[in-house]
Order: sequence, then structure tokens, then C-alpha cells
Amino acid sequence: MGTRIEAVATAHARHGPFRQGALKLADEVARACLARAHRAPGEIDLLVNAGIYREDNLVEPALASMIQEDIGANPGHPPRAGAHGTFSFDVANGGCGVLTALELLDGFMRSGTIETGLVVASDSGPGGRKSFPFPAVGGALLVRPASDGEGFVDFVCETFDEADGVFESAISWHARARRLPLARPGKNVLRVAQGEGYERRVIACAEEATRRFLARHGLDAGSVDLAIVSQSPLGFADGLATRLDLAPARVARVAAALRGAHTAGPIAALDAAIESGQFAAARTILFATVGAGVVVGLALYRK
Amino acid sequence: MKDAHAAEHWMLVEGGRDHRPDVPYASRFESLGLQLPERRLTTRELLASATHHPRIDLEALTGIRERRVCSPGEDSFTLAVAAARDCLAHSRHRPEDIEMLISASISKYKGGLRHQFEPPLSLAIKREIGAQAATSFDLSNACAGMLSSVFVLNDFIRRGVIRCGMVVSGEYISSLDRNAARQVRSIWSKQLASLTLGDAGVAAILERAPDGNPGITFAGFTTLAEHSRLCLGGPAKVGPGAAMFTKARTIHRVAMEDSPPLLADALEETGLSLADIDYLIVHQTSERAIHKGAREFAARFGVSPKHVVANVAERGNTASTTHFVALYEYLEAGRFKPGDEILLLSLASGLEVGVVIFRMDELVDHYGHAH
Repeated sequence: MGTRIEAVATAHARHGPFRQGALKLADEVARACLARAHRAPGEIDLLVNAGIYREDNLVEPALASMIQEDIGANPGHPPRAGAHGTFSFDVANGGCGVLTALELLDGFMRSGTIETGLVVASDSGPGGRKSFPFPAVGGALLVRPASDGEGFVDFVCETFDEADGVFESAISWHARARRLPLARPGKNVLRVAQGEGYERRVIACAEEATRRFLARHGLDAGSVDLAIVSQSPLGFADGLATRLDLAPARVARVAAALRGAHTAGPIAALDAAIESGQFAAARTILFATVGAGVVVGLALYRK
Repeated sequence: MKDAHAAEHWMLVEGGRDHRPDVPYASRFESLGLQLPERRLTTRELLASATHHPRIDLEALTGIRERRVCSPGEDSFTLAVAAARDCLAHSRHRPEDIEMLISASISKYKGGLRHQFEPPLSLAIKREIGAQAATSFDLSNACAGMLSSVFVLNDFIRRGVIRCGMVVSGEYISSLDRNAARQVRSIWSKQLASLTLGDAGVAAILERAPDGNPGITFAGFTTLAEHSRLCLGGPAKVGPGAAMFTKARTIHRVAMEDSPPLLADALEETGLSLADIDYLIVHQTSERAIHKGAREFAARFGVSPKHVVANVAERGNTASTTHFVALYEYLEAGRFKPGDEILLLSLASGLEVGVVIFRMDELVDHYGHAH
């Protein structure tokens, strides 16, 4: 028994001095997603967060555990016999993280380990840095066991050499040139750098991997009713559609405010396709995501 | 097999919802790898370097005499790669046999104290060791990262999707010792626990267990998220690297309150008593915490495991790698014998509680002087 999508929610940070960071965005979309599915937080068996950038660049604990506490998903104490709790952790696989999380949830669903899983992804610039290249967007996706033949059929993750374009992000220490009295000696700064050829490279890699993946299932690009794709880098969705010769009506488009969304991009695209009716009409749905490395994550969903 | 209601566990248990088709395989640890930096830093030296000269007998308090720390040129990435290579050197698998590679460290330093988010560290490790066929990703779950990754790999192997996978973690966390040494003023400091940390890299290959080998007999995890904010770590404000703020006593208290029923559930599921466990390996924080915890378990269960492992004296708390540092060193010392029941108990920020139980097999033949 595989996994089907039950509900999806997306949100972007409101402007102004009290704009939400990644955690608040994740909390908001997780709650909205559960509300859309008319499900209680306590029903979640496994919560996986695939977001990368967050307030204060916190690396411990897993952000998933804080989301779990905030939305009240079996926060514990005391653990009770005869009832189930919630397990949560983070995965990171660049822009492919949501599909990585879904692959894990699909596996646990098939082994009878879980019945309800929630994937959350959100990114925000730590401290609202203006140089942060992605819009602050959060997405959540609730999955349940497949039924009526609807669900994920296959996942694949391929890696390619970076060749002429790189994408790198890291935190490192920048010492102050002049030390002022009482001032900090420097600070840890997040730098996100996208090389010029990166977009071109990930489109080429995604095309190659997608054609191979579809062929493995006896399909070609013409059999894809709907493509749900990464929203970063910005030109990826259009570029891949052109290379695969997918008509615009067969590619999910996000609202302007969500364009360039990083880890939550595929969820935002799925949400838009559900809203527009594209998802309901589609039978063969391709998920195509890309991340730094280059990593291409693909999934096939059928109804 | 229990009925569906009786099988309801608070922990998420592999296959535990009990409505599954039969999962065809078991998984087992095929080999382990370890990399410790050469350089040693004693607790005495660390406290002597403290800015505010706190009057704390940390060695008496924790039992930690020294820890290994990285030198220039070493970081999370190099520790992980060296551990992965050591793991492969003890394995009959080649790098290209690895179908899934999970990097589970909290620290992701590559190129010195440069915490890399993208590309994921797992991808760099996979490339460096030549595991071209592996699907790779990072999994972060504080000090429970390695065992959470074992939980994931176990699922893929049991379902028959893969035959062989690797979990790896390189923890370069001694920057937290240095940053804490600048700020700790007393025993009540929230950075006191940061003074107990040491660097280490570990790796484990899991594979489909041969017929008749029970391998991993239990894998379960839960997050008691009510306590998610008891230990927070991130980039430091005072210098390169990271800092961590911990309510250590509260964590120990809630872990001791909440973990016994979960442990009891795990033991019941496998038909074992705590007395049947030959080696209990808990997350290594301090000797005092480990032995106090063991006494509380003994009081609660009325019996004790045959051995409770504590190796912090010369290693310190090496974050997500502690269970595997201990396993490796006990293997090298010839302490285990085939048939021993080993229970790994994870207690980590989150609050993560995880249990992995496995039966030791010919893994012992690949380590120690006899090897």
C-alpha cells in the first residue's frame, strides 16, 4: 500500500516588521493543512521537515520537533500505553527535500509503520537578511495510505556533476576589521551564492533524468498530464517545460508572491494545481525537483 | 503476533501499525567505522582556558578527563569520510554497492568552521568515497541523528527496496567547548554541557540479514516535543563555530520520567527483559548521568542489564556519534560475543527517545586483535 496526497497548504510571510520566520510559517501551513483535511494534529505518526533556512540558523533540535510542539501533535508527557505518539525529524536535500521526505513517508506507509504523515518545508532569511535570495514561503503536505489506485508509484534521485554552474550556501565567521569597544569581534554570516550557469545546468540535468525516469515506466513527456516542479531557480519551471515540450496548461504555476520559493516550491506548485483544478483533471502526474549538487529528485503519481 | 490494538505503540515502531503485508527481510549491522582526531584536550586544559575562571570541578562532575578535538584540516566532512572509509575497510561491500547514504551529523563543517547547507554534506561524502549508485540525503535529529537514520535504512532494507546502505556522521563540535569557555561563569551556566563535547566520526553499513539472522529486532522512535526547547544550538555570537544552550538537569529529569515506559514497550515487543540485555548503550553525556539513569532503570524494572556502557572519560559527548563510538571501541576490545543482545537507547534534544535492539553476530570477527 503506497501513499496518496490528502491535503496541501501554502503560505508566504506577511510584509512588515512582524513578518514570520520559517518556524511560524511552518506552524501556520501545518495547521492549515490539517484543517483542510479535517484531521487532528494527534493523528500524525511522522512529521518530516525539509526546510533549510530558518531563524538564527538554528541547527539543534530538528525544527520538526518544534513544529510538532507548536501544533500540538502528541507533544508527550506522559507517553500513554495503547495510544500512539508522533516522531519527527528534519531532512535536507536542497530543493529536492520534499520528495526525499515523501519517499521516506511512502516507505513507512508501505511497511505498515505509519498511517498519517506530514511533510513541512519552509525557508526564511535568518534575521530577515535582504541578501537572502528566496521568498519566505512555507508548505505542508499531508499523506495517507493510497486508495482507489491513487498514489505515488515511484521515486528516484539522481546526481550529476555541477559542471559550469554552482550553488552553495554556508555559514562562516566574518571577523570585524576594526574592533570597537564592547562590540562583538565579528559574526557568523549566511552566504547563499548561485553561479551564473546553475539554472541552465539544472534544467539540462532534470531533462535528462526525467526522460530516463519516464522511459522506465513506459512513458514519455507527452503522457504527463501535469508537472509539479521546483520553483527555484526562478527559470527552472519554464526551462524544463520548454525542454520537455510540455504545454503551459500541463505545468503547475504559482502566484507571483511564491515564485522562487525554495524547499516549499513543489508544495506551492501542487497547491496551485489543486486550486486551479489541474490536479483533479490529471491522471499521470510528474514531480520534478532540483537541488544544488546537482541533485534531481523525481516522483510519479498516478490516479 | 499481537492484535492491532495491543500493538499500538507510543513510539513509532518499524512495521508497528500491524496492518502491513509481511515485510520480507531483516536488516543487520554489517560493519562499523570510526575516526577520532589525534589531538587530545583535557578537561583541565579546557577550564584553564576559560575567560571567567569558573570554579567548577567538571571532571568530577562528568567523569570526562579528556576529549579528542580536530586540528586544522579536520572538520565534519573529513571525519565522516575517514569513518566511512574505515567502515568500508571492515566490510565485504564496495563503495558502489551502497544504495542509500545518509549523513546524520548536526555539525556540517566543510572547509574548516564553514557550516554548509547546500549542496548537502551527504552528496560530498558520497562522491568522496565513490558511492556513485547511492541515493543520498542529510538527516538532522540532534544527537539522535545516527539512530534515526538507522531507523530509516532499516525500513528500506526490510521492505527489500535496497540491500545495502550506509549511515555516517562527522561531528566537529569542539568549537562549542571553546565558545562556552569564553562565557561560562558558574555551574549554573546553560553552556556548561558544551564543555563536555568531543569530536568524532562514525559510519555503519546496514545490509539485508542472511536467513536465520534476526539482525535488528526492534527499532522505535518518538518525539516528546513538549520538551523541544530544552536544548538549542546554532552559530555562535562570540566566535567561529557554534554555541549550545541546554537545560541539562531538566532534560535528564524528563528523560528519566518518560523513557522507562517506552523502554518497557520495546522490551515487551521483543519478548526480552532488561536482564536479558547484555549491553545497554545510552547516549553518552556524562558518567554521572549514565550511572544515575542506570540506577533509576534498575529501580523501575527491578532488574538490570548485564553491562551499562560508559566511555565518556576519554571521548566526552560526541553528539550523534556516541553509540557508535562505544560500539566500535567495545568491538575492538573484544568485549562482545555473538548472541549478545545489544540495546541502543537514544535520548536527544527534541526530546527524541529511540530504541534499537539487535543481536550481535559475526560482526565481532571483523574487529580487534583477532582480525
